[in-house]
Amino acid sequence: MKMIPSSGVFLFLSVDSPCSPSFSIVHFLASFSSQSRADILGIALAVTNILAGLVWLSIKPKILSPEILYGVECKQLSPQLSDFTASELLWVWNSLLEATCCKSLVVVYGNKCLLQIGVAAESRGDVVPVLVQKLSQGSLYKNAMKVGKQNYLANLSLYPGRVELSFLPSNTQSVILQPIGDMGIVIIGGDTVRGFTNLDQTWISSLADKLDATLSKTLM
Amino acid sequence: MVTMIAASLLHVLPSTKLLSRHFHTSSPPNTATIIPRRDISISVRPRADDTPLQSEQQKQMDLSVLRFTLGIPGLDESYLPRYLGIGFGSLILLNHFLDPSPPTPPQIISEVLGIFLAAFSVMLPFIGKFLKGTSLVDRSLLPEGNKQIFIMSENLSDILREDLAWESFIMLRNTNTMSVLISVQDVLCVRGYWNAPEDASKHVILDWFVRQIQRIGLSDLRNELYFPQSTDELWPILPRGTTTVLLQPISGISDQNYSETEKLNGFILLVSSASYAYSDKDREWTKAIARKFHVHFS
Repeated sequence: MKMIPSSGVFLFLSVDSPCSPSFSIVHFLASFSSQSRADILGIALAVTNILAGLVWLSIKPKILSPEILYGVECKQLSPQLSDFTASELLWVWNSLLEATCCKSLVVVYGNKCLLQIGVAAESRGDVVPVLVQKLSQGSLYKNAMKVGKQNYLANLSLYPGRVELSFLPSNTQSVILQPIGDMGIVIIGGDTVRGFTNLDQTWISSLADKLDATLSKTLM
Repeated sequence: MVTMIAASLLHVLPSTKLLSRHFHTSSPPNTATIIPRRDISISVRPRADDTPLQSEQQKQMDLSVLRFTLGIPGLDESYLPRYLGIGFGSLILLNHFLDPSPPTPPQIISEVLGIFLAAFSVMLPFIGKFLKGTSLVDRSLLPEGNKQIFIMSENLSDILREDLAWESFIMLRNTNTMSVLISVQDVLCVRGYWNAPEDASKHVILDWFVRQIQRIGLSDLRNELYFPQSTDELWPILPRGTTTVLLQPISGISDQNYSETEKLNGFILLVSSASYAYSDKDREWTKAIARKFHVHFS
């Protein structure tokens, strides 16, 4: 007789019979009394319920607290923007600020930085500006523009490419890079790891479409 | 023999690696200090002292994470307790009826207990849907008796027309909404499935909505209204099959870019055929859309 563990239940294989090895589980169970079988099934059901409860606990995500970002508050709008376009951009910023964990926003369009607002990286007391040429040569920007879809870096500390976003606070927790059509990109910095939900991502994508329509009309 | 089997079943219990860093049983979320925003640039240098938080997290009970999977593609493991409950419950009944000898009282007690556990196992997937974080939204089909319409007031600027079209579109797309009504000053935009008058022209339908809004007094509301389990009998303007109603006034939304004196009369009305259709996040984004009208009318 062999004992082979399988998911915690030992199966006894009969190797003595001249026939091919067959499961003797029926004989195994028949050797018990009816009471014992009922007890075993009850234990199995109890274990099932306990394990289901443990699995439920395991799918509960840990609530992460937001970090205080190191940097300087800034609000830099391109002077070339019309009042309407500037209002539109500021509305996007306010929406992200109120509805998400966004603390930093950069809008680049047509090789120009149109908006840098929120908490920015600091260098000798001044805001670190967005160098569009340097940004556009980085892998994060290139990948986002090449794919044409949103790129969500849920835990920025894990990505070596974060050095390309030197204008964001050094302890920015999460970043979304959202292309604006073919001509620009929105970079959203958050203060919480995995702070942007699926719904936030959907809305950010919708906002980018709106910005694309607005900016292409007013700037192009 | 029974002891060996019980011990072997216990092997299925947490013997996997403890993932204590990522999961915990219960702890209130810690809130970070909020930096007050100012118009001038300020330097922010917080203390990076979070050792009390770390020690508190370490003291919390660690539970192992058990992700049991059969590895069968297409099989939803969340229904596994139901299958096991049905299987083991059937075996208990089989054991009871196929036993030649009459059951003893302890056996009956064990079998009754087993049947209760089996019934609970069968219900587990249903109970699991009400876990916090799981969406309670029932994405039911669109109710009958409504007509899909998309009408706007006339004599609107192109920018406003496009914005209303975009805003109504994304409310329908990004939320669990079947009907949208946006009213700002004298402008009206109605989109989605509504119980509007049959075979009526666009002007008649618009007039009908305007009269209904005036009769109910929706434009005078200043606070958000959210009815997660309502009916279409709440207001006559609502389409058939209404279950959730969210009304977000446009006036009274504070926006640091616009003065408090610039009050706009209007609202965004969202209707859904599902109950509890709008989460806190949905309502935050609806407020953001409502704020956009200050851009037009400022």
